[in-house]
Amino acid sequence: MSVLQCNSLSKHYGKIPALEQVSFAIEPGRIVGLLGPNGSGKTTLIKLANGLLTPSEGEILICGAAPGRATHGLVSYLPERTCIPTWMSTRQLMDFYGDFYPDFRRDAAQEMLQHLDIRPDQRVKQMSKGTREKVQLIMVMSRQAKLYLLDEPIGGVDPATRDYILSTIISNYNPEAAVIISTHLISDVEKVLDEVIFINRGQVMLQSSVDEIREEKGMSVDVLFREVFKC
Amino acid sequence: MLRKLLKHEFRATGRIMLPVIGILLATSVAANLSLRYLMGSDAWFFSMLGILLLTAFGFAIFGVFIVSFILMIQRFYKNLLQDEGYVMLTLPVSIHQHIWSKLIVSSVWFIVTVLAVILACCITAFDLTIIKEILWGMGDLFQELRKLQAYYAINGTAIAIEMIVLVFLGLVAMCLQFYSALAAGHSLPTHKMAWSVAWYFGLQFAFQIIAFSAIQILDQINFFNWDIFHPEIHLDAMAGIHIGMAMMIFLTVVHGAIFYGITTFFMKKRLNLE
Repeated sequence: MSVLQCNSLSKHYGKIPALEQVSFAIEPGRIVGLLGPNGSGKTTLIKLANGLLTPSEGEILICGAAPGRATHGLVSYLPERTCIPTWMSTRQLMDFYGDFYPDFRRDAAQEMLQHLDIRPDQRVKQMSKGTREKVQLIMVMSRQAKLYLLDEPIGGVDPATRDYILSTIISNYNPEAAVIISTHLISDVEKVLDEVIFINRGQVMLQSSVDEIREEKGMSVDVLFREVFKC
Repeated sequence: MLRKLLKHEFRATGRIMLPVIGILLATSVAANLSLRYLMGSDAWFFSMLGILLLTAFGFAIFGVFIVSFILMIQRFYKNLLQDEGYVMLTLPVSIHQHIWSKLIVSSVWFIVTVLAVILACCITAFDLTIIKEILWGMGDLFQELRKLQAYYAINGTAIAIEMIVLVFLGLVAMCLQFYSALAAGHSLPTHKMAWSVAWYFGLQFAFQIIAFSAIQILDQINFFNWDIFHPEIHLDAMAGIHIGMAMMIFLTVVHGAIFYGITTFFMKKRLNLE
């Protein structure tokens, strides 16, 4: 069964279309890049998968079920901005995730926090923007979820932090799960991707494996992206 | 899951409410000392200090009510409709559980606030002659009441309980009115807070129109003149009060239930986190 499936999915904000008749499926064990320029509909798609928006038409399914309370337990979601409660300490944050998600691995989270020299009693509001993003990523990747939805995980951070984030994703995700990474910074994520979906103006332009792109088109994903989305 | 939501909600609100209640109790002790020793002092400094401490106590009472009220709105707004909403609304819990957790915690803090203010007033008044006189007066009142029939004692207690239930349900309905306005206002793409305020006053106006129209219609069909329909029923004043209180409690529950329905509808079907 597909981990994520969209069937003729559309979303309109008033009269403005954000997604138009999007259909694709993602199988378990794949790391997929959801690639597109700003405003192409990537975040809308991820919000729909999380039940934070309702579709205007069509359907979106997580492990065969419409987004809701049951699918929230299967999905580990990293929003595009830092959304963890800033008054909490990292210990309280681990309590929070541990209480609500049975698949949360506290030992893994503690190890990653220790590696970054973040004390358990340190409050989120005392941290720098970059550290907050790392802490949020650690909470998300410490879960053994079926689907990881990572919205712009490397946007707005320095190259060293980008490397840290990507290595954290690769070394911590559940291998039986699918990982969707939404970004427009292709060159940084290309090395970790199995598959890509190009999205533009709310429509899927291409779904292909990275190997196919390299073999058949003889170019990297980054070069293909620049060609497809040339202004 | 509701229990877990409540645990974290109490943790989030307790860090604000407990220090505020602590300040209230501290100022009540200071107010007691100033009433007993400072206010009657001949030295202007101590007399002035006594006035300032009493004023601080007055502000603390006002402050604790304001904080519990603002916290009720702020927790719903910030925790569910702002950035934290991305974390909270993707937890494996239902919208109903989210709303109930906010509602229960706000109600508990309202009750704790009232109890803390009563306690603070008792601390302030401790060992003061005026309070002794009030207590003696109340003792005399109870002595007189004991002479009366059990009928009045039971009904008096029942009316007091009905009043407490009505005030409590009124507070819950008030919370839900704020929640429904915020949920409706934040379903729109722009000017979310302005729309929330508009929704609040719109709902208030709509309910006033409905209530006024219902009273007019009931009056026109002589609903309030019971003798027309049931000439055999002759209610005494006490029964009339109980029926009136029961109707007000019922209407408050209906009032709250409508706001609850509006809140869940917008949170489930029209959620629009930016």
